[in-house]
Amino acid sequence: MMWYELTGKDSDVVVSSRVRLARNLCDYPFGKRLDESGAKEIIEKVRSVFEGVGDYTFTDYSTLDPTVKSAEYERHKISREFAEAKTPTALIESDEKNLYIMLLEEDHIRIQSIMAGLSLNEAYASASSADTLIDSSLRIAYNEKLGYLTHCPTNLGTGMRASVMMFLPGITAAGGIRSLQNQLGKLGLTIRGMSGEGSASNGCLYQISNQVTLGNSECEILTKLTEICEKITEQERSLREKMKADESGRFTDRIMRSYGTMLYATLIDTSELVKLYADVRLGACLGIIDRVTPKTLDEILVRGMPNVITLENRGAVNANRRDRCRAEMVRYVLAGASEK
Amino acid sequence: MLCEKCKKKEATVMYKESINGHKSSYALCADCAAEIGAFDSTKKLISDPFENMNSLFGSLFGLAPYKKSTGVDVKRCNLCGASFNELAAEGMAGCPNCYSEFEDELSATIARIHGSSVHTGAAPAKYMEGREKKKQIEAVEKELHDAVAAEEYEKAATLRDKLRELKSDEGGMK
Ligand SMILES: [Zn+2]
Ligand SMILES: [Zn+2]
Repeated sequence: MMWYELTGKDSDVVVSSRVRLARNLCDYPFGKRLDESGAKEIIEKVRSVFEGVGDYTFTDYSTLDPTVKSAEYERHKISREFAEAKTPTALIESDEKNLYIMLLEEDHIRIQSIMAGLSLNEAYASASSADTLIDSSLRIAYNEKLGYLTHCPTNLGTGMRASVMMFLPGITAAGGIRSLQNQLGKLGLTIRGMSGEGSASNGCLYQISNQVTLGNSECEILTKLTEICEKITEQERSLREKMKADESGRFTDRIMRSYGTMLYATLIDTSELVKLYADVRLGACLGIIDRVTPKTLDEILVRGMPNVITLENRGAVNANRRDRCRAEMVRYVLAGASEK
Repeated sequence: MLCEKCKKKEATVMYKESINGHKSSYALCADCAAEIGAFDSTKKLISDPFENMNSLFGSLFGLAPYKKSTGVDVKRCNLCGASFNELAAEGMAGCPNCYSEFEDELSATIARIHGSSVHTGAAPAKYMEGREKKKQIEAVEKELHDAVAAEEYEKAATLRDKLRELKSDEGGMK
């Protein structure tokens, strides 16, 4: 199962948790200094580590259809850079373990695990199991002072980037994102809007991650990030209750109008979907809409992304057809959800 | 190399700027760098955690001491062949070996990114064994010290043997 098909802890506020470990092989250069034959050697070496081990599949990304790659990015399985790379790349993946191992992204190896809800420790455990497997048969670049040696010095040390995707309509509406940014910055954390800056255009989705990778252990980084996300979650919940208490009825009306659009519209473009997602997800979390769960909406958002739509629908050959398929998919998923 | 602006003093700083995506870099003396605000703009970059990471650290690298190059015998990494100036321009290491090859040149940059920290997290298995062994040795050394202080000489002798044993098969590390 993919992360967006599962429900995790604190799913009203936390959409997903992701841990990425950067690893490199000792004897090969990075990036543009690595020639094609070196790149192929690395891919082959890592591939052989996972050969015959459980449910991992190997895909040569160099020859893969760009739509498939972009769809995997939209499903949050791989990075945008990896989807757009022009040099040899490959992916080793296990949907069962929520593990996606990118070969020759910025680093030789980037192990990524993504899980639903607030579950950084689980995601780390999964990524770490792949790390141990790789370490047992390949020489990984490491020194005792700087830790894991990475292409960019910003990833030295643990080589770990942990991030939590949070749904923050309450803090957004209260105008609190900027101040949250400042506070997190002081704690060595960053917050980024999912796409574009500010307000509803990003579906009120924000990614919070650790910035410093050297000096703290993985456990310390994960514990700190988890604690901070728990605090943000509390704050977000209390702001939502205030929104719900609006006596004019405008708040509920806005949410129900968006829900109505999702249920009956026949053409929905991506940016409208993102806006509807934010309203209806908030309504579902607050019990204003009781037939839909936050997880269902996360699934709708992922499946509504342009490349995923193109891939899952034979007829989605142009923007207009995609908008039609997107609206159909939304109606279909919501109908399934309300039958349960 | 002389400062590219005043062409009088020795250049000590690589100043990089990016205007509308057009990147350029100059070798400047400290005075000229201060005059055009090279240091101030860097300070601002450090305090803004939302800047694009690569450009941020590209410019941090750029402010590392600019070494006089005497033409042919520039130091190069023996694995990837990069010189320090190349790394500075790219803001990235050329290979894992660059970190030991250019340890001195990079230390200031790394400290600016991460603070003056040493790695304390996970490590490849063979380093983990080494760490374990080191901890054991330290524990036995302390016990031995205490035993000697308490004049428990028989116990001290046993501990000394244990210590010798631990240290003898330590050689495999590093
Ligand atoms: Zn000058
Ligand atoms: Zn090198």
